[in-house]
Amino acid sequence: GAMAPGKKITARIKRTLPVKGPQAPTLSELMRWYCLNTNTHGCRRIVVSRGRLRRFIWILLTLSAVGLILWQCAELLMNYYSASVSVTVQFQKLPFPAVTICNINPYKYSSMKDYLSELDKETKKALETFYGFSEGKSKVRRSVDEWNSTGSDFFKQIPLLKFEEFSKTATDFRSGQKRKIEGSVFHKDSSIVNSGDSNDIIGFQLCDANNSSECALYTFSSGVNAIQEWYKLHYMNIMAQIPLETKEKLSYSADDLLLTCFFDGLSCDKRHFTRFHHPLHGNCYTFNSGENGTILSTSTGGSEYGLQVVLYIDEADYNPFLVTSTGAKIIVHDQNEYPFIEDIGTEIETAAATSIGMHFTRSRKLSKPYSDCTETGADIPVENLYNKSYSLQICLHSCFQKAMVDSCGCAQYAQPLPAGAEYCNYKKNPNWMYCYYRLHEKFVKEQLGCQQICKDACSFKEWALTTSIAQWPSTVSEDWMLRVLSWDKGQKINKKLNKTDLANLMVFYKDLNERFISENPANTLVILLSNFGGQLGLWMSCSVVCVIEIVEVFFIDSLSIVMRRQWQKAKKWWNDRKRDRSGKPPQASNLERQGHDNPVCVDEDLPTFNTALRLPLPQDSPLPRTPPPNYSTLRLETAFTDQLPDTLEVGQH
Amino acid sequence: MNLKKYCVRALHRLQKGPGYTYKELLVWYCDNTNTHGPKRIIKEGPKKKLIWFFLTLLFASLVFWQWGILINTYLSYNVTSSLSIGFKTMKFPAVTVCNANPFKYSEVKHLLKELDRLIEAALERILQPTPGNSSENASPPLDLGLWHQIPLVLIDEHDKDNPVILDIFESNQTALGNETAGRAPSRGSLLLSPRRDGLTLPALRPQCSHQGSDNCTYRNFTSAAQAVTEWYILQSTSILSKVPLQERIRMGYQAEDMILACLYGAEPCNYKNFTQIYHPDHGNCYIFNWGMDEEALNSSNPGAEFGLKLILDISQQDYIPYLSSAAGARLMLHQQKSFPFLKDQGIYAMAGTETSIGVLVDELERMGYPYSDCTMNGSDVPVKNLYSQYNTSYSIQACLRSCFQNHMVEICGCGHYMFPLPEGVNYCNNEDNPGWAYCYSSLRSSIRHRQICIDSCKETCNDTQYKMTISMADWPSEASEDWIFHILSYERDMSTNVTLDRNGIIKLNIYFQEYNYRTISESAATTIVWLLSSLGGQFGFWMGGSVLCLIEFGEIIIDSLWITIINVISWCKGLKQKRVQARYPDAPPTVSELVEAHTNLGFQHEDAGALPRDEALPPEPGTPPPNYDSLRVQPLDVLGPDSDAE
Repeated sequence: GAMAPGKKITARIKRTLPVKGPQAPTLSELMRWYCLNTNTHGCRRIVVSRGRLRRFIWILLTLSAVGLILWQCAELLMNYYSASVSVTVQFQKLPFPAVTICNINPYKYSSMKDYLSELDKETKKALETFYGFSEGKSKVRRSVDEWNSTGSDFFKQIPLLKFEEFSKTATDFRSGQKRKIEGSVFHKDSSIVNSGDSNDIIGFQLCDANNSSECALYTFSSGVNAIQEWYKLHYMNIMAQIPLETKEKLSYSADDLLLTCFFDGLSCDKRHFTRFHHPLHGNCYTFNSGENGTILSTSTGGSEYGLQVVLYIDEADYNPFLVTSTGAKIIVHDQNEYPFIEDIGTEIETAAATSIGMHFTRSRKLSKPYSDCTETGADIPVENLYNKSYSLQICLHSCFQKAMVDSCGCAQYAQPLPAGAEYCNYKKNPNWMYCYYRLHEKFVKEQLGCQQICKDACSFKEWALTTSIAQWPSTVSEDWMLRVLSWDKGQKINKKLNKTDLANLMVFYKDLNERFISENPANTLVILLSNFGGQLGLWMSCSVVCVIEIVEVFFIDSLSIVMRRQWQKAKKWWNDRKRDRSGKPPQASNLERQGHDNPVCVDEDLPTFNTALRLPLPQDSPLPRTPPPNYSTLRLETAFTDQLPDTLEVGQH
Repeated sequence: MNLKKYCVRALHRLQKGPGYTYKELLVWYCDNTNTHGPKRIIKEGPKKKLIWFFLTLLFASLVFWQWGILINTYLSYNVTSSLSIGFKTMKFPAVTVCNANPFKYSEVKHLLKELDRLIEAALERILQPTPGNSSENASPPLDLGLWHQIPLVLIDEHDKDNPVILDIFESNQTALGNETAGRAPSRGSLLLSPRRDGLTLPALRPQCSHQGSDNCTYRNFTSAAQAVTEWYILQSTSILSKVPLQERIRMGYQAEDMILACLYGAEPCNYKNFTQIYHPDHGNCYIFNWGMDEEALNSSNPGAEFGLKLILDISQQDYIPYLSSAAGARLMLHQQKSFPFLKDQGIYAMAGTETSIGVLVDELERMGYPYSDCTMNGSDVPVKNLYSQYNTSYSIQACLRSCFQNHMVEICGCGHYMFPLPEGVNYCNNEDNPGWAYCYSSLRSSIRHRQICIDSCKETCNDTQYKMTISMADWPSEASEDWIFHILSYERDMSTNVTLDRNGIIKLNIYFQEYNYRTISESAATTIVWLLSSLGGQFGFWMGGSVLCLIEFGEIIIDSLWITIINVISWCKGLKQKRVQARYPDAPPTVSELVEAHTNLGFQHEDAGALPRDEALPPEPGTPPPNYDSLRVQPLDVLGPDSDAE
């Protein structure tokens, strides 16, 4: 009577849906029932087939089909994370890339005199001592005299040495004394030095300042490389001490570099260029850097509609030791990208028109789990020192700089400064060069781990360049061209321009086709399931329903049968014991036809249409030749009538 | 007769109906269907029945959901790309060579004489603006008519609010405006004080839509060199556009003068193997292996030895000084039967050098509609292709240029010299179309018109690009210089004097690289076969179903529809009968009769079939209509022979 509604409902559910074990009494019965009634195709054959051989063949076939399904599905799963590539070509208005232009010579030599005169003087001296080179005979004598009086520390810091390979002795160019070489020898140029070569080898020695016995000797097969490398070391040292503002003033201004500018059929000037200071190339100018928020775009291809600039390369003002080639360097890059002009710049010749046709390609890779690339670089444990979006180059440089600051205590000049660090110079860090060389060697040999940490960027833009050169200005137009350009240059320089001081550059889109290469997942879950379905269906006509069946029959039912057996055994044993005590006769088991196949106890429910057909005929009824026509239909009607289940149950038991 | 018989039989079948109720039908379906779920619904106990009912429903909805996804995927027409790379025998590209300078100066000098004198004088004024130049007096008076159409001026922007405009010639004779007059004494210093403190003094040119009208624009230049070049190009274009084509071809470089030596593979060739084409930018251009009249040449070996070797002379001494400042040959590789757009895709070759060009053919083969928006031959592009007069195939560049020229003709009333003419239109020149330069510049800088052209032109489905690896070396070497120049001069001019020099001679090697093709071809990612197998896979995976199962299901639906129709009819009939029977004196049917009518399905359906026959078909006198009322009370066994007889 007074039950809670919740309880009432649960009771009702319990009554209507009683939890009962499987009907099959034994495992073999269950299997037989399963095989006969399952939807998969092989099993039924096993049970139905007559003859051992045939049955055996069917077992074999069914098992092999199962094996094939498992194998194929495993293959499908393993190939799930594969990508397909699609290439689309879109004809459209294209954003013009940023074009960074630098003079190859970083700073005006004339204005650098204050900083470099000492170094240059000594370089010239070294050249004279080793190679007998001198600019003028009269100068030489004077400078040699000067030498003894001044005595600089460039050679104290890093002595230039000329030495013989076998004797392991070296001649110090300053003192002229021979001295023994200690420590290991590194050949910077080539690892194999021709032993038969009678030429003397030149190099320099870098020693650990804290421990003078730790020295590394760098030798070069050619004096050109040795002198340049040696000069560069000192040069970087000097430049590291000059503040950025001063350096920017020492370098070229936009007016110095750019004579004319023309973009998309319209004139442009230095306002379209953004200054960018590069440690090795001085002031560079980026066209269309997007700094003011607008990025120019091109809606017509061809050389007239691109960027055309005439550059003024003041060759007379070049540093003779630092750079040995003349011209400009340019790089085409995305506005968000840092221009690694020293690594991937294109050189521009003077007295020539360089025409650079671009073709734009955008690529996009799939990130994890398809490939090991990074979208933004946020997941890379290396701090991005550049104020630009992530790229592999940025990561490697930043990683090296970090290692440099960690192990040498100061930062390398060519890369940006990490927070709280300062550039190396040997007033503060006398040891830095040795440290740098050691570290750089480790970096190149991939011992710093930078190459392992840094990953590719997932998407990148690429401008494929086709470069060609024409003579410019032509012989007949040279005269007026130079005159007008000199006038353009204005009164700042009071000389007529020389054609070797000029470089004409054209950067344009060859066509406005954007090629977009993208990776797409080759598989989706839907397709994977379809493929599973195809495999299951092909070999066994199986489906998820079959899988559920298998789980039901082989795990739940089998287990419960085993459990029930055990339980019955235990009960029997208990009853036996009880009976032994009380002496009652055992209850005979009356289950002969059992399991799912036994239509009598097929279910707690009334027989269905199908099972009803298989019901045993009532024994007492006469056997008519044809069954009453509406027998089964009547049965059927009752099978679905809303009778109370408990009454049915009562009737059955 | 047969048809009638068939109809009657069908009618009787209709009258009999399906013979079962919804429940029977459903149970029958569940038991006999090949789909996996329903069978279990009826085979198990009530608990499992419930579970299986929901499982089946779930799976069925899953199947439909996934089918939706699959069909969507199919309709998005994705493509997959495959890349192949390697070497194969391929058609050697067509090679167009031109001189960077369109005409021989010696030939066009008489046309450009006035213009040159004008520009020289103007340059003099710009560079040495001190009045009272002595050289001016000696030269004959300048034709300022040309000048007045598009004059070059200088603008002094020292005072940003009041820029001073100085016409290069007039400023010397008359004071321009009020401001200029006021500043007249300092005029010279103004001209010579450019760009101080970030202020600019650009060389400018006003362009008016009509002579003397106020509708003028100044086109600013930051560099005098550019201003002069642009001015000269506009003026010379106007002059040359009046010259007939034959004359222009004659004034350009002739093949025998330009192409000195030619070797293709091991076979010699000469200037006769080149097709002449008149290119507005570069004058006479010569195309090797264009494939217009003869079969295109194949190349089956990589390397410079099997490519095209050319020696060209560009005779730099004969350049027009103000028209082109860069000297060299302009060349381009393109497909057979396509027009060479040298401004876009051409490269330079420098005089006095040997330029080697390794070629890789980069092909992109795309599927057309609906996979991607491209055109096979340009016939579906709404722009009239003006380049078809050269018998060349469609390309996006041709479309864009045609589109521009069409706009130009529409708006300015004349065609631009750089592009082919539509029928019945003339090239623009200063006499007939005084405002054309203004019209052209405004059109050229109009972003709207460019966008219209970009939107209406489509790229081609098969895109071929020639990727070039360019390298250069000095040629001829100092040691070989003498004899090479001697031989070439002898061959061309039949003289023992050397008529060639370093500034004019160019050697070209064009050959296939070791890998000469890279083909990216598209194929449909989802085909109808893929769709069907995926649909089948899904259906099979969740329910073990197939198309036959769908048919089964459809059959069941039709059957249940029948049942509905029959039930409705019988109900209607029941209503009618009630009314009819009410009038009859007969006793109404007993309860047992009625019960029997409902439980005995055979009877029920028979009586249901009576009505559709009356309504659906016209009464047929040939066949006696069965008496349903009598049938109804007839025993079962009478029914069998009756229907069989029909």
